[in-house]
Amino acid sequence: FTPLMLTAMFILLLPIIMSNTQLYKNSLYPHYVKTTISYAFIISMIPTMMFISSGQEAVISNWHWLSIQTLKLSLSFKMDYFSTIFIPVALFVTWSIMEFSMWYMHSDPYINRFFKYLLMFLITMMILVTANNLFQLFIGWEGVGIMSFLLIGWWYGRADANTAALQAILYNRIGDVGFIMAMAWFLTNSNAWDFQQIFITQHENLNIPLLGLLLAATGKSAQFGLHPWLPSAMEGPTPVSALLHSSTMVVAGVFLLIRFYPLMEQNKTMQTLTLCLGAITTLFTAICALTQNDIKKIVAFSTSSQLGLMIVTIGINQPYLAFLHICTHAFFKAMLFMCSGSIIHSLNDEQDIRKMGGLYKPMPFTTTSLIIGSLALTGMPFLTGFYSKDLIIETANTSYTNAWALLITLIATSLTAAYSTRIMFFVLLGQPRFNTLNLINENNTHLINSIKRLLIGSIFAGYLISYNIPPTTIPQMTMPYYLKLTALAVTIAGFILALELNLAAKNLKFMYPSNLFKFSNLLGYFPIVMHRLPSKMSLTMSQKSASMLLDMIWLENVLPKSISLFQMKMSTTVSNQKGLVKLYFLSFMITLALSLILLNSHE
Amino acid sequence: MSMVYINIFLAFIMSLMGLLMYRSHLMSSLLCLEGMMLSLFIMMTVAILNNHLTLASMAPIILLVFAACEAALGLSLLVMVSNTYGTDYVQNLNLLQC
Repeated sequence: FTPLMLTAMFILLLPIIMSNTQLYKNSLYPHYVKTTISYAFIISMIPTMMFISSGQEAVISNWHWLSIQTLKLSLSFKMDYFSTIFIPVALFVTWSIMEFSMWYMHSDPYINRFFKYLLMFLITMMILVTANNLFQLFIGWEGVGIMSFLLIGWWYGRADANTAALQAILYNRIGDVGFIMAMAWFLTNSNAWDFQQIFITQHENLNIPLLGLLLAATGKSAQFGLHPWLPSAMEGPTPVSALLHSSTMVVAGVFLLIRFYPLMEQNKTMQTLTLCLGAITTLFTAICALTQNDIKKIVAFSTSSQLGLMIVTIGINQPYLAFLHICTHAFFKAMLFMCSGSIIHSLNDEQDIRKMGGLYKPMPFTTTSLIIGSLALTGMPFLTGFYSKDLIIETANTSYTNAWALLITLIATSLTAAYSTRIMFFVLLGQPRFNTLNLINENNTHLINSIKRLLIGSIFAGYLISYNIPPTTIPQMTMPYYLKLTALAVTIAGFILALELNLAAKNLKFMYPSNLFKFSNLLGYFPIVMHRLPSKMSLTMSQKSASMLLDMIWLENVLPKSISLFQMKMSTTVSNQKGLVKLYFLSFMITLALSLILLNSHE
Repeated sequence: MSMVYINIFLAFIMSLMGLLMYRSHLMSSLLCLEGMMLSLFIMMTVAILNNHLTLASMAPIILLVFAACEAALGLSLLVMVSNTYGTDYVQNLNLLQC
């Protein structure tokens, strides 16, 4: 068991090490990386099968690294339920994405470096997932952050890409502060960074570290307060968006919260906070997704919305369901990104859905996978998304929780259907709105194979995974029929509404956007306000207090200038003389002399 | 009164006349102000010393202090007028603007 797992991990390391040798330079390197990942996937399925059949978890702790006073840090991998199931899923999706990017980045001169970055990202993600102590998890955490920066800014000549990469790093950093706070609390209060020790000892008040972890998840998984980096991260190439920002990196935050579920089970406050945060995120990003015009941004907001749904699931104390949703979501979201990548590439780098249309005839395969991906996303029964999403909505309906958060989640579910319909309507149906000289074909085997794999995964993986995993928390079995059909009902309502609106407004004149449209299109004004206002205010305040306040106001203006100004104003107001000084003096003297002469008669 | 006092008093009256009757320069009235101060100081000191009124010996010194203050004020006013008009001719003062 353990040697197999270590072999799987080690295989991934090989291409990086080979990067200095001759093998890196030739053009077969991407192919080599792809086959490496496929072998790693197959090898990692074996421990997964063993785990499913026997339920045996393992912790591999091999190298004692250092001991800082009483804290022992070692290299330990934790192969429990979560990591054993996540690793094959992640490797499968990454395999498909690698094959896809062999087609997509075909004309890029630095394609070898691209694959190396993707592989390094995958390795750090593996480190994050299999970490048994907080320190190793932090290494993986920072690693995925850095690789995200390098990959978003892949086309570094473009200023928007650099800004987006910087934005990703900054927002992640704010989340990291929370992570470090949690680490510090654990260090001082329980003297351990190992999960086993943390979960066994009984703590009194876990608010502070759990708040820190929630902040870290907010930063990494783009929850409401720290969300703008995710739509901006679409500046990177489509494989990057597919890998990082749909399947693996953005679930790191959710994964962190899932890892700490024994601590979160006891703390009601934290659960309510998580629930409300997830609900706000889901609704807000779904509203923003409704009026975006860039196909990648719509899918990015859809990711954000699903992440909010995962956080809601953690908030209702169902970590296993959230994990299931992570695994199933990876399939169809990566496939959606890859479909949009194929559309973008075929239309000669056109990303605006207002300029696409009528693609279902020239690109049948992409159309099929787009439709199936969208249906799986919205939770069509018996596709992949159904097994996780429907269960989540059912559990939320029947649990003793915050009714407002629940309502918001339901509204967001119907909005999911709405914007998926919008994508399909604008991209696939109708008459073509793009330039007619594009050659559209889907002939490349890499593209077809990768999307085909994920397609089969989107359809069957939900069934396969949910019926093969070891039993965990029992889902709610009995509920009134109207609650059970709620998810389906709101989804169908969303579909029908969006379809009707789109069909009705198809040939109407374009009207000036209303305020609600502007709110939704500009991401709720959040990035516009928050990027400029606080920084400008703090800078002007510091400038004013440093130079104006002390020097100019107090020393210069309060006493001297104010006194002189006051006196001048008062004197001009009060006096009404004409300034004939000599006459005044003469009259004074004559009066004095006269009085002295006239009154001299007392002698 | 003795002759000394009348003499000094006459000097005071002369300075007063000079203060009140001048032709064009403001500076001349300031100078006469100084002359008045000087004659007062002399009269006060002589009277105190002759009558051995040592209790009031600080009075001349205090008079000097206040005279210095008022001389400074007068000079600053002169400088202000001179800044605005270039000279200190007294016929400039009929406009009274700040």
